[in-house]
Amino acid sequence: MFLWIAVALLLIIMGAYYTGRGRAVSSVSGNYTALHSLPSYHGYYVALWAGLPAFILSIIWFFVAPQVLEGIVLSQAPESVTSLPPERLQVFMADVAAIAQGGIPSQVTPEREAAAEIYGSYLSVSNWLMFAVAISLAVAGLTYGRARIRPRLRARNSVESMVNLVLIICSTIAILTTVGIVFSLLFEALRFFARVPFTDFLFGLQWSPQTAIRADQVGGSGEFGAVPIFAGTFLITLIAMFVAVPIGLMSAIYLSDYASNSVRSVVKPILEILAGVPTVVYGFFAALTVAPTLRAWGGSIGLDVASESALAAGLVMGVMIIPFVSSLSDDVINAVPQSLRDASAGLGATNSETIRQVILPAALPGIVGAILLAVSRAIGETMIVVMAAGLAANLTANPLEAVTTVTVQIVTLLVGDQEFDSAKTLAAFALGLTLFAVTLVLNVIALRIVQRYREKYD
Amino acid sequence: MEMKFTTKNVNVYYGDAQAINNVSLDIPDRAVMAMIGPSGCGKSTYLRCLNRMNDTIPIARVDGDIRLDGHDIHSEIDVVHLRARVGMVFQKPNPFPKSIFDNIAYGPKLHGIATKKSDLEAIVEESLQKAGLWNEVKDRLGSPGTGLSGGQQQRLCIARAIAVSPEVILMDEPCSALDPIATAKIEELIDELRQNYCIAIVTHSMQQAARVSQRTAFFHLGDLVESGPTTEIFTNPKDQRTQDYITGRFG
Ligand SMILES: Nc1ncnc2c1ncn2[C@@H]1O[C@H](COP(=O)(O)OP(=O)(O)O)[C@@H](O)[C@H]1O
Ligand SMILES: [Mg+2]
Repeated sequence: MFLWIAVALLLIIMGAYYTGRGRAVSSVSGNYTALHSLPSYHGYYVALWAGLPAFILSIIWFFVAPQVLEGIVLSQAPESVTSLPPERLQVFMADVAAIAQGGIPSQVTPEREAAAEIYGSYLSVSNWLMFAVAISLAVAGLTYGRARIRPRLRARNSVESMVNLVLIICSTIAILTTVGIVFSLLFEALRFFARVPFTDFLFGLQWSPQTAIRADQVGGSGEFGAVPIFAGTFLITLIAMFVAVPIGLMSAIYLSDYASNSVRSVVKPILEILAGVPTVVYGFFAALTVAPTLRAWGGSIGLDVASESALAAGLVMGVMIIPFVSSLSDDVINAVPQSLRDASAGLGATNSETIRQVILPAALPGIVGAILLAVSRAIGETMIVVMAAGLAANLTANPLEAVTTVTVQIVTLLVGDQEFDSAKTLAAFALGLTLFAVTLVLNVIALRIVQRYREKYD
Repeated sequence: MEMKFTTKNVNVYYGDAQAINNVSLDIPDRAVMAMIGPSGCGKSTYLRCLNRMNDTIPIARVDGDIRLDGHDIHSEIDVVHLRARVGMVFQKPNPFPKSIFDNIAYGPKLHGIATKKSDLEAIVEESLQKAGLWNEVKDRLGSPGTGLSGGQQQRLCIARAIAVSPEVILMDEPCSALDPIATAKIEELIDELRQNYCIAIVTHSMQQAARVSQRTAFFHLGDLVESGPTTEIFTNPKDQRTQDYITGRFG
């Protein structure tokens, strides 16, 4: 149905374009200079009138119709259905919709089938109605737009302000989505903090989120002190930075100031491939290759390395971030003007003296910004740590032991069957909110620094 | 007149394109040598041969015999040492994004000329004095060199070059980014510096060449057309092309 509406609308819009164009041309009998706007803009003008209202209507219909249908079905449903608690009712309605549209319901009951019958019949009415309304709106728009065509019509201005509006709406959607995510995080996190005091969460040293779901279960009361998790995240990030910053920075320096063009043209794409490796691949590389190797090495010199260790996860995460650090640093190092290199060389400085004493100090703010962005990536990285760092919330500074991170805990809290209002599940939102806040602050600072630095040389 | 640089049959290539053809030119000590010619004729390229700055351009290749005080700059003098002896001032002022003090102290520190703070301070003051900038900046040596005006920046760059006690100062259109007043200051400065240094200056302004230089070399399409005392080049050129250029028939 939607496909047909789309095809029909498209045809009408195309027709509208040619009508508008043709009418504009004939209104000045072919003398283009008498037109305020180019003929094609008159075409777009009518096309917009034909397409936009119909399109907006279809979107609204798409979201509103199911609600209306549910209302109708509920109003005709027996008492046993209408008295269901909200979550059950949701499942019920989902099943009804599935049955009516030939999908796969979670269960089939006589009530559901009866309701689906009603739902189905109203659904096809709704679809046909939508088709008819959309098409007539398009045709009406076409007629209206066409009637407004005259030589003095400021068609280009109208079309461009419409396009402008559409662009604004699109960016608003992106922003609203972000705001929505933040609010849902905030809301759920507040529900968590209603059960567990904020200070316990932020400063508690014990993390054992297993709570008893049923009264007869042995599950402990649950401890939600997040310090061990923050510490684990910090430890792994630190290890990753120890790998990524020197290697990434050095390779950026090599690429920008030492490598010949031919080497550069080979090495840069290879680094970018490294950036394109899916993190899950890094994850099993860490878990299946690096961790056992570290364990074997450690064993051979008498160190006890856990089979899931902060070191393994941190090392591999560092490797993952190398291209990130190197390409950002490469950009800032290249942004240092050639004239400064010339000035330094002209005074008899060698290449390495120039880099150490002129390029790096000049590029430092930008490099710091790049590193902060890399840190915020490391903190938010999930796959590698899930696979290689472990689940135990140890409060330790020893990189050879297993630790856990914020992202890992969020994953483990939410994977599997959950009750959506237990403290255990809600804890994930609190962790997510913390993560979000930290990376947001890091990103803002980093971008500020990078930006200020860019301004200096433009 | 004693010659500081002697160059014979210098050719420079950028990749396959030849920018300088067989240029032979001597540059006198304690005098100003001006290089003039239409843009793209290879003045800068020739100037950059003298302190081997062309080495920093991967595709550039220089051949020919270039001697500083009789020593081959390619085989007998290390490039680091050469550039300490032959300073350079560029077209656009290019102070480091460091303090005024650190801009001047950069060279002396590199070459180990001064390590003690007091020695460095003396060098900084002396260089700024020579560059005629001391009075304007003596109270703000710690503020960034990039915060000065264009003309001050260029004099800072000259002071920076002087600080390593070079014997030669190369200047590539040092006034092209400056206003007339700043230009006049730099020209005055060049005239003073000539007492102690060998100066080679590229300029696109014939008036400037006439004002500051004792000798002039005219380049055209990569060739050295003629060179000689400035007064002679401007009043009595031997070559028709020189004549045409200084009378403004092509530029
Ligand atoms: N870095 C370079 N790469 C390639 N060609 C260059 C480069 N620098 C200069 N050239 C070429 O060499 C010629 C001489 O340039 P240049 O010495 O800058 O001239 P001038 O300073 O007299 O204006 C020009 O044709 C120019 O295009
Ligand atoms: Mg030039």
